[in-house]
Amino acid sequence: MPQAIAHNLPYITIFNFLLVCIILTILAVILSKDGFKEVPGERQNIAEFCLDWFFDKASDMGVSSTKTVVAFLASLFFVILFCNLLLILPLSPFNIPPTSYYSVPLALALCSIFGTIIVTGVYRGSLNAVKHLFWPNPLQLISEAGHILSLSLRLFGNIGGEYAVSIQVLKVAPYGIPVVIHLIGLIPVFIQAFVFTLLTSTFVAGAIHHEETKTSKA
Amino acid sequence: MREIFLVFLPTVTIVITAVVAALSMRRISVSALEGMTRQPEVAGQLFTSMLVSMALIEALVIYCLIVALMLAGKID
Repeated sequence: MPQAIAHNLPYITIFNFLLVCIILTILAVILSKDGFKEVPGERQNIAEFCLDWFFDKASDMGVSSTKTVVAFLASLFFVILFCNLLLILPLSPFNIPPTSYYSVPLALALCSIFGTIIVTGVYRGSLNAVKHLFWPNPLQLISEAGHILSLSLRLFGNIGGEYAVSIQVLKVAPYGIPVVIHLIGLIPVFIQAFVFTLLTSTFVAGAIHHEETKTSKA
Repeated sequence: MREIFLVFLPTVTIVITAVVAALSMRRISVSALEGMTRQPEVAGQLFTSMLVSMALIEALVIYCLIVALMLAGKID
Protein backbone atom coordinates (compact mmCIF):
# COMPACT_ATOMS: atom_id res chain seq x y z
CA MET A 1 0.00 0.00 0.00
CA PRO A 2 2.62 2.66 0.80
CA GLN A 3 4.30 1.67 -2.48
CA ALA A 4 1.04 2.48 -4.24
CA ILE A 5 1.28 6.06 -2.93
CA ALA A 6 5.00 6.53 -3.45
CA HIS A 7 5.66 4.94 -6.83
CA ASN A 8 4.74 6.23 -10.25
CA LEU A 9 1.66 4.95 -12.00
CA PRO A 10 2.52 1.61 -13.64
CA TYR A 11 1.75 1.22 -17.34
CA ILE A 12 -0.69 -1.63 -16.74
CA THR A 13 -2.90 0.71 -14.65
CA ILE A 14 -3.03 3.25 -17.48
CA PHE A 15 -3.79 0.42 -19.90
CA ASN A 16 -6.57 -0.88 -17.62
CA PHE A 17 -8.08 2.60 -17.34
CA LEU A 18 -8.07 2.95 -21.13
CA LEU A 19 -9.61 -0.53 -21.36
CA VAL A 20 -12.45 0.59 -19.08
CA CYS A 21 -13.00 3.70 -21.23
CA ILE A 22 -13.09 1.59 -24.42
CA ILE A 23 -15.56 -0.89 -22.85
CA LEU A 24 -17.82 1.97 -21.71
CA THR A 25 -17.70 3.60 -25.15
CA ILE A 26 -18.60 0.31 -26.87
CA LEU A 27 -21.45 -0.25 -24.37
CA ALA A 28 -22.77 3.28 -24.96
CA VAL A 29 -22.65 2.76 -28.75
CA ILE A 30 -24.44 -0.60 -28.49
CA LEU A 31 -27.15 0.76 -26.15
CA SER A 32 -27.84 3.84 -28.26
CA LYS A 33 -27.48 2.15 -31.67
CA ASP A 34 -31.16 2.07 -32.64
CA GLY A 35 -31.90 5.60 -31.46
CA PHE A 36 -34.99 6.67 -29.51
CA LYS A 37 -38.25 4.82 -30.27
CA GLU A 38 -41.79 5.29 -28.96
CA VAL A 39 -42.06 1.58 -28.15
CA PRO A 40 -38.72 0.79 -26.50
CA GLY A 41 -36.79 -2.36 -27.36
CA GLU A 42 -34.57 -4.36 -25.01
CA ARG A 43 -31.52 -2.12 -25.29
CA GLN A 44 -33.48 1.11 -24.95
CA ASN A 45 -35.19 -0.35 -21.86
CA ILE A 46 -31.80 -0.99 -20.20
CA ALA A 47 -30.52 2.50 -21.08
CA GLU A 48 -33.73 4.16 -19.85
CA PHE A 49 -33.67 2.16 -16.61
CA CYS A 50 -30.11 3.37 -15.88
CA LEU A 51 -30.95 6.98 -16.71
CA ASP A 52 -34.16 6.93 -14.64
CA TRP A 53 -32.23 5.60 -11.65
CA PHE A 54 -29.78 8.51 -11.92
CA PHE A 55 -32.56 11.06 -12.33
CA ASP A 56 -34.26 9.63 -9.20
CA LYS A 57 -31.06 9.70 -7.12
CA ALA A 58 -30.15 13.18 -8.33
CA SER A 59 -33.60 14.53 -7.43
CA ASP A 60 -33.36 12.75 -4.03
CA MET A 61 -30.16 14.68 -3.32
CA GLY A 62 -31.79 17.96 -4.30
CA VAL A 63 -30.16 18.43 -7.70
CA SER A 64 -32.51 19.93 -10.25
CA SER A 65 -32.71 16.97 -12.64
CA THR A 66 -31.09 18.53 -15.63
CA LYS A 67 -29.50 16.59 -18.43
CA THR A 68 -25.95 17.95 -17.96
CA VAL A 69 -25.81 17.14 -14.24
CA VAL A 70 -27.14 13.60 -14.69
CA ALA A 71 -24.76 12.92 -17.61
CA PHE A 72 -21.83 14.15 -15.49
CA LEU A 73 -22.84 12.02 -12.49
CA ALA A 74 -23.60 8.92 -14.58
CA SER A 75 -20.27 9.04 -16.41
CA LEU A 76 -18.39 9.39 -13.10
CA PHE A 77 -20.36 6.48 -11.62
CA PHE A 78 -19.77 4.10 -14.52
CA VAL A 79 -16.07 4.91 -14.86
CA ILE A 80 -15.50 4.26 -11.14
CA LEU A 81 -17.73 1.16 -11.09
CA PHE A 82 -15.99 -0.49 -14.05
CA CYS A 83 -12.53 0.46 -12.73
CA ASN A 84 -13.43 -1.19 -9.41
CA LEU A 85 -15.00 -4.21 -11.09
CA LEU A 86 -11.66 -5.11 -12.70
CA LEU A 87 -10.77 -6.39 -9.20
CA ILE A 88 -12.86 -9.53 -9.69
CA LEU A 89 -11.44 -10.47 -13.11
CA PRO A 90 -9.56 -13.77 -12.98
CA LEU A 91 -7.02 -12.64 -15.63
CA SER A 92 -3.75 -11.73 -13.90
CA PRO A 93 -2.47 -8.45 -15.42
CA PHE A 94 -5.97 -7.02 -15.94
CA ASN A 95 -7.21 -7.52 -12.40
CA ILE A 96 -5.30 -4.52 -11.00
CA PRO A 97 -8.03 -1.91 -10.46
CA PRO A 98 -6.76 1.54 -11.55
CA THR A 99 -8.47 3.05 -8.48
CA SER A 100 -6.08 1.15 -6.18
CA TYR A 101 -3.32 3.62 -7.20
CA TYR A 102 -3.68 7.05 -5.62
CA SER A 103 -3.20 9.01 -8.85
CA VAL A 104 -6.45 7.72 -10.39
CA PRO A 105 -8.82 8.54 -7.47
CA LEU A 106 -7.09 11.93 -7.18
CA ALA A 107 -7.73 12.62 -10.87
CA LEU A 108 -11.37 11.52 -10.48
CA ALA A 109 -11.82 13.74 -7.42
CA LEU A 110 -10.33 16.69 -9.33
CA CYS A 111 -12.76 15.95 -12.19
CA SER A 112 -15.61 15.87 -9.67
CA ILE A 113 -14.74 19.21 -8.03
CA PHE A 114 -13.86 21.06 -11.26
CA GLY A 115 -16.93 19.49 -12.91
CA THR A 116 -19.03 20.90 -10.06
CA ILE A 117 -17.59 24.37 -10.69
CA ILE A 118 -18.21 24.05 -14.46
CA VAL A 119 -21.81 22.82 -13.97
CA THR A 120 -22.45 25.72 -11.57
CA GLY A 121 -20.95 28.04 -14.18
CA VAL A 122 -23.26 26.64 -16.88
CA TYR A 123 -26.41 27.15 -14.81
CA ARG A 124 -25.59 30.23 -12.72
CA GLY A 125 -22.98 32.06 -14.76
CA SER A 126 -19.19 31.83 -14.53
CA LEU A 127 -18.91 34.77 -12.13
CA ASN A 128 -21.22 33.07 -9.63
CA ALA A 129 -19.28 29.82 -9.95
CA VAL A 130 -16.03 31.57 -9.05
CA LYS A 131 -17.76 33.55 -6.32
CA HIS A 132 -18.99 30.28 -4.78
CA LEU A 133 -15.35 29.36 -4.08
CA PHE A 134 -14.82 32.46 -1.93
CA TRP A 135 -18.20 32.68 -0.19
CA PRO A 136 -18.80 33.37 2.75
CA ASN A 137 -15.01 33.78 3.18
CA PRO A 138 -11.85 32.76 1.31
CA LEU A 139 -11.46 29.77 3.69
CA GLN A 140 -14.09 28.07 1.49
CA LEU A 141 -11.24 27.41 -0.95
CA ILE A 142 -9.52 25.24 1.68
CA SER A 143 -12.79 23.38 2.18
CA GLU A 144 -12.88 22.60 -1.56
CA ALA A 145 -9.30 21.27 -1.32
CA GLY A 146 -10.47 19.17 1.63
CA HIS A 147 -13.28 17.76 -0.52
CA ILE A 148 -10.73 16.68 -3.15
CA LEU A 149 -8.61 14.97 -0.49
CA SER A 150 -11.51 13.26 1.24
CA LEU A 151 -13.10 11.99 -2.00
CA SER A 152 -9.84 10.63 -3.37
CA LEU A 153 -8.60 9.11 -0.11
CA ARG A 154 -11.93 7.40 0.54
CA LEU A 155 -12.00 5.70 -2.86
CA PHE A 156 -8.29 4.85 -2.76
CA GLY A 157 -8.44 3.53 0.81
CA ASN A 158 -11.38 1.26 0.16
CA ILE A 159 -10.39 -0.19 -3.19
CA GLY A 160 -6.65 -0.26 -2.41
CA GLY A 161 -7.43 -2.03 0.87
CA GLU A 162 -9.72 -4.49 -0.89
CA TYR A 163 -7.05 -5.22 -3.49
CA ALA A 164 -4.34 -5.67 -0.82
CA VAL A 165 -6.58 -8.07 1.13
CA SER A 166 -7.41 -10.11 -1.98
CA ILE A 167 -3.70 -10.38 -2.86
CA GLN A 168 -2.84 -11.55 0.67
CA VAL A 169 -5.67 -14.11 0.66
CA LEU A 170 -4.52 -15.35 -2.75
CA LYS A 171 -1.04 -15.92 -1.31
CA VAL A 172 -2.36 -17.94 1.66
CA ALA A 173 -5.15 -19.89 -0.08
CA PRO A 174 -4.92 -19.82 -3.88
CA TYR A 175 -8.04 -21.96 -4.57
CA GLY A 176 -11.68 -21.65 -3.49
CA ILE A 177 -11.53 -18.98 -0.77
CA PRO A 178 -10.66 -16.06 -3.14
CA VAL A 179 -14.02 -16.63 -4.86
CA VAL A 180 -15.82 -15.94 -1.56
CA ILE A 181 -13.61 -12.90 -0.89
CA HIS A 182 -14.39 -11.55 -4.37
CA LEU A 183 -18.12 -12.11 -3.87
CA ILE A 184 -18.02 -10.16 -0.57
CA GLY A 185 -15.82 -7.57 -2.31
CA LEU A 186 -18.60 -6.83 -4.80
CA ILE A 187 -20.44 -4.86 -2.08
CA PRO A 188 -17.78 -2.15 -1.43
CA VAL A 189 -17.03 -2.03 -5.17
CA PHE A 190 -20.59 -0.91 -5.87
CA ILE A 191 -21.03 1.18 -2.70
CA GLN A 192 -17.83 3.19 -3.25
CA ALA A 193 -18.85 4.13 -6.80
CA PHE A 194 -22.30 5.04 -5.48
CA VAL A 195 -20.95 7.08 -2.55
CA PHE A 196 -18.52 9.00 -4.79
CA THR A 197 -21.40 9.90 -7.12
CA LEU A 198 -23.71 10.80 -4.23
CA LEU A 199 -21.15 13.10 -2.64
CA THR A 200 -20.49 14.77 -6.00
CA SER A 201 -24.24 15.26 -6.42
CA THR A 202 -24.45 16.86 -2.96
CA PHE A 203 -21.63 19.25 -3.92
CA VAL A 204 -23.42 20.11 -7.18
CA ALA A 205 -26.74 20.53 -5.36
CA GLY A 206 -25.08 22.70 -2.70
CA ALA A 207 -23.37 24.94 -5.26
CA ILE A 208 -26.45 25.38 -7.48
CA HIS A 209 -28.86 25.77 -4.56
CA HIS A 210 -26.58 28.29 -2.87
CA GLU A 211 -26.52 30.40 -6.03
CA GLU A 212 -30.30 29.98 -6.43
CA THR A 213 -31.02 31.27 -2.92
CA LYS A 214 -28.64 34.18 -3.43
CA THR A 215 -30.34 35.21 -6.69
CA SER A 216 -33.85 34.80 -5.21
CA LYS A 217 -32.89 36.97 -2.20
CA ALA A 218 -31.57 39.63 -4.54
CA MET B 1 12.52 3.16 22.26
CA ARG B 2 11.77 4.89 18.94
CA GLU B 3 11.20 1.51 17.28
CA ILE B 4 8.72 0.50 19.97
CA PHE B 5 6.80 3.72 19.47
CA LEU B 6 6.81 3.26 15.70
CA VAL B 7 5.33 -0.22 16.04
CA PHE B 8 2.93 0.76 18.81
CA LEU B 9 1.56 4.04 17.40
CA PRO B 10 0.05 2.78 14.10
CA THR B 11 -1.65 -0.08 15.95
CA VAL B 12 -3.16 2.21 18.57
CA THR B 13 -4.21 4.73 15.90
CA ILE B 14 -6.06 2.21 13.80
CA VAL B 15 -7.60 0.29 16.74
CA ILE B 16 -9.05 3.39 18.42
CA THR B 17 -10.47 4.80 15.18
CA ALA B 18 -11.90 1.43 14.14
CA VAL B 19 -13.68 0.99 17.49
CA VAL B 20 -15.08 4.54 17.53
CA ALA B 21 -16.15 4.31 13.88
CA ALA B 22 -17.83 0.94 14.45
CA LEU B 23 -19.81 2.39 17.36
CA SER B 24 -20.86 5.44 15.32
CA MET B 25 -21.83 3.29 12.34
CA ARG B 26 -23.86 1.06 14.62
CA ARG B 27 -25.77 4.08 15.80
CA ILE B 28 -26.42 5.25 12.23
CA SER B 29 -27.57 1.86 11.00
CA VAL B 30 -29.82 1.27 14.04
CA SER B 31 -31.54 4.64 13.55
CA ALA B 32 -31.87 4.15 9.78
CA LEU B 33 -33.28 0.62 10.13
CA GLU B 34 -35.75 1.80 12.77
CA GLY B 35 -36.87 4.56 10.42
CA MET B 36 -37.14 2.13 7.51
CA THR B 37 -39.31 -0.30 9.45
CA ARG B 38 -41.55 2.49 10.75
CA GLN B 39 -41.92 4.13 7.34
CA PRO B 40 -41.13 1.70 4.52
CA GLU B 41 -42.24 4.25 1.91
CA VAL B 42 -39.16 6.43 2.57
CA ALA B 43 -36.79 3.46 2.86
CA GLY B 44 -34.95 4.39 -0.36
CA GLN B 45 -34.22 7.93 0.75
CA LEU B 46 -33.17 6.76 4.23
CA PHE B 47 -30.82 4.19 2.70
CA THR B 48 -29.15 6.88 0.57
CA SER B 49 -28.71 9.20 3.56
CA MET B 50 -27.40 6.30 5.63
CA LEU B 51 -24.75 5.53 3.01
CA VAL B 52 -23.63 9.17 2.84
CA SER B 53 -23.34 9.42 6.64
CA MET B 54 -21.42 6.17 6.81
CA ALA B 55 -19.09 7.35 4.04
CA LEU B 56 -18.32 10.52 5.99
CA ILE B 57 -17.37 8.50 9.08
CA GLU B 58 -15.44 6.03 6.99
CA ALA B 59 -13.36 8.85 5.52
CA LEU B 60 -12.00 9.66 9.00
CA VAL B 61 -10.99 6.02 9.50
CA ILE B 62 -9.23 6.05 6.14
CA TYR B 63 -7.32 9.22 7.07
CA CYS B 64 -6.09 7.37 10.18
CA LEU B 65 -5.27 4.31 8.05
CA ILE B 66 -3.11 6.45 5.76
CA VAL B 67 -1.35 8.02 8.79
CA ALA B 68 -0.85 4.54 10.27
CA LEU B 69 0.57 3.26 6.97
CA MET B 70 2.93 6.22 6.76
CA LEU B 71 4.11 5.55 10.31
CA ALA B 72 4.46 1.84 9.55
CA GLY B 73 6.56 2.73 6.51
CA LYS B 74 9.15 4.33 8.81
CA ILE B 75 9.89 1.04 10.61
CA ASP B 76 13.25 -0.31 9.46
